[in-house]
Amino acid sequence: MKKKLLIANRSEIAIRIIRSAHKLGMLAVVFQSDKEPDALYLKYADEIIAAKDNGNEKSIFLDADRIVKLALENNIDLIHPGYGFLSENPDFAELCVSNSINFIGPSPQLIRDMGLKTVAKSMAIEAGLPLVPGSDGPVKDAKAAKEFADKIGYPVILKASAGGGGRGMRIVEKADTIERHFKSASDEAKAAFGNGDMFIEKYLQNPKHLEFQIMGDKHGNVIHLGERECSLQRKHQKILEEAPSASVTPAMRKEMGDMAVRFAKAIGYYSAGTIEFIMDEDGSYFFMEMNTRIQVEHPVTEMITGVDLVDWQIRVALGEEITLKQKDIKITGWAIECRVNTEDPQNRFSPQTGFIDKIHFPMKDYIRIETGVQSGSVVTPYFDSMIAKIIVHGKDRADVIEKTLDALYEFSLIGLKTTVPFCRTVLKHPEFVSATYTTRWVDSVFTPEMLENDEDEMMGALAATIMYASEYLQLSSDTPSYKNDLLNVWVLNKRLNY
Amino acid sequence: MGTKYNYRRDASRLFIAVRENGKRFKIYIPKDSKPVIDGEEKDIDFLEQEDFHYTFDWNGKKFHCELVSRDQNKAVIKVNGVEYRYSLESIFSYIRRGMINNPDKQLNENNIYSPMPGKIVDLFLSEGDLVNEGEPILSLEAMKMQNEICANCNGVIRKIKVQTGQSVMKDELLVEITSIDE
Repeated sequence: MKKKLLIANRSEIAIRIIRSAHKLGMLAVVFQSDKEPDALYLKYADEIIAAKDNGNEKSIFLDADRIVKLALENNIDLIHPGYGFLSENPDFAELCVSNSINFIGPSPQLIRDMGLKTVAKSMAIEAGLPLVPGSDGPVKDAKAAKEFADKIGYPVILKASAGGGGRGMRIVEKADTIERHFKSASDEAKAAFGNGDMFIEKYLQNPKHLEFQIMGDKHGNVIHLGERECSLQRKHQKILEEAPSASVTPAMRKEMGDMAVRFAKAIGYYSAGTIEFIMDEDGSYFFMEMNTRIQVEHPVTEMITGVDLVDWQIRVALGEEITLKQKDIKITGWAIECRVNTEDPQNRFSPQTGFIDKIHFPMKDYIRIETGVQSGSVVTPYFDSMIAKIIVHGKDRADVIEKTLDALYEFSLIGLKTTVPFCRTVLKHPEFVSATYTTRWVDSVFTPEMLENDEDEMMGALAATIMYASEYLQLSSDTPSYKNDLLNVWVLNKRLNY
Repeated sequence: MGTKYNYRRDASRLFIAVRENGKRFKIYIPKDSKPVIDGEEKDIDFLEQEDFHYTFDWNGKKFHCELVSRDQNKAVIKVNGVEYRYSLESIFSYIRRGMINNPDKQLNENNIYSPMPGKIVDLFLSEGDLVNEGEPILSLEAMKMQNEICANCNGVIRKIKVQTGQSVMKDELLVEITSIDE
């Protein structure tokens, strides 16, 4: 009998996982949420479980108890959590395991450990990974803070132990202001969290975000599949990723990759995982955290290595041994992923909801499209704004930048605004082309005016004029018609006058 | 005649699209040929025309233009995913408004005076017509020679002060043109 794999997720990643499930001869089961009952992913599934989450506060994808209950009722063998939602929730993983459902991911204990930054960091230190220089615990007072900062060098960042949301946080540029900043941040933290304890850490002004993809099995084998660079972020969320990274030399790749593998082996990791590093302008890098799930940007790694990560996640969960050896992993060419989010880059990336009247994706053998929507889909406010990903493979970085730009010009969406124009702007920017861009790019370099260009501006003027002219002239028989017949322009104008 | 004139007679097909940032486009949409933008004919084709949405092809590049909103003569157009705002007017209202806005500036006035005494033998254009710089407006016969009097700018013929067959003196006002050149 075919195994049943339940996907506790939606949109493009659900479709992606369904593809792997089918390839491995399994039945793919998904939830139908009342919050988007006509979602595209439902069409690809073999079985659909009605989640009936209409009156519920939480959508089905966040309701661990209901997921497991429905999984048991429907004789599910495996659960794939995708990314987001409950994918890194150790309680959910544990609930699956304790109900004899195969959770596709690492052990619940490791999800828990990696989710606690302090635990993850101490495990990283044990495995010999470099960490951003900082105080191991809270510093006693302003004087001690200054002594410590003088030792590690400025700028430094002061963080409240109990902090969050930027409160109790200060960036200190030079020695003579640190005592003052320490006092005000500590007071702020005391007022906000009832705890004035402060940590101190070196502050990287223009960091890059790099991450290594690893894959391990339950037999102690771990390999890495190279790095991705995800420095392009807005609101601390990635928006365009590439693999490999131009900032990583082959020697560094080996060093960092070996480090990632050593770490994963030391903690007994299996399944797909990502080890994140932050890199300073001088090329020094530090461990940040480990993600214990499949990531949104996993396709760029698949494009350059030819390894299907989701397939392997499932096979590892079934106890299979990874047959790939580190020496088999070759990086071929370069890949870029652009996230298509329904957000308005001209207005601080505010989310857009509504109908997608028409969506058109570029089609080429070197382009991979992962989409959760089609023409006629609705973007609701209940879920994430990412609706699709455009992934392009080129022979080198210059080639892939050019191909991606072409692909993004081919893309069109009628009805909502997206991050595609933003991605085009990025791809054309000298700092991206020279690969010197950092995580601060959006905040320090990007302005909405950069989205505009003279050609688009002129063509917009032409379109506006034709629409206006057709009305102004009021001559349906004597219309401006070069080459094509412009008759339906007049239809348009009738509708405009409602 | 080898010269190609972009502007044909019909001035009602000439519009001005002004962006919020003040940038202006003079767009002429002839009946049977491609659009003329800022005096230059552009090789632009339609790929798609649907309600509220056009796709143009220009030099092999695609331009998806979608009408986002419309309020009287103001329009917001999304071009390849980015919004641009324009206000639109006919050349007539533009000229009228331009003159109201700059009452002391008579820069747009390009009057044509007779270079020599003679007789008007032919008028090629009428009042309200669009004329190209260097395009003949009328023919003036002097000393048994026919001389073409040409427009000194791109513009709209505001007034023709003479008739066919009329004799004129040197420096007599023949035609008033409102320039559309910047």
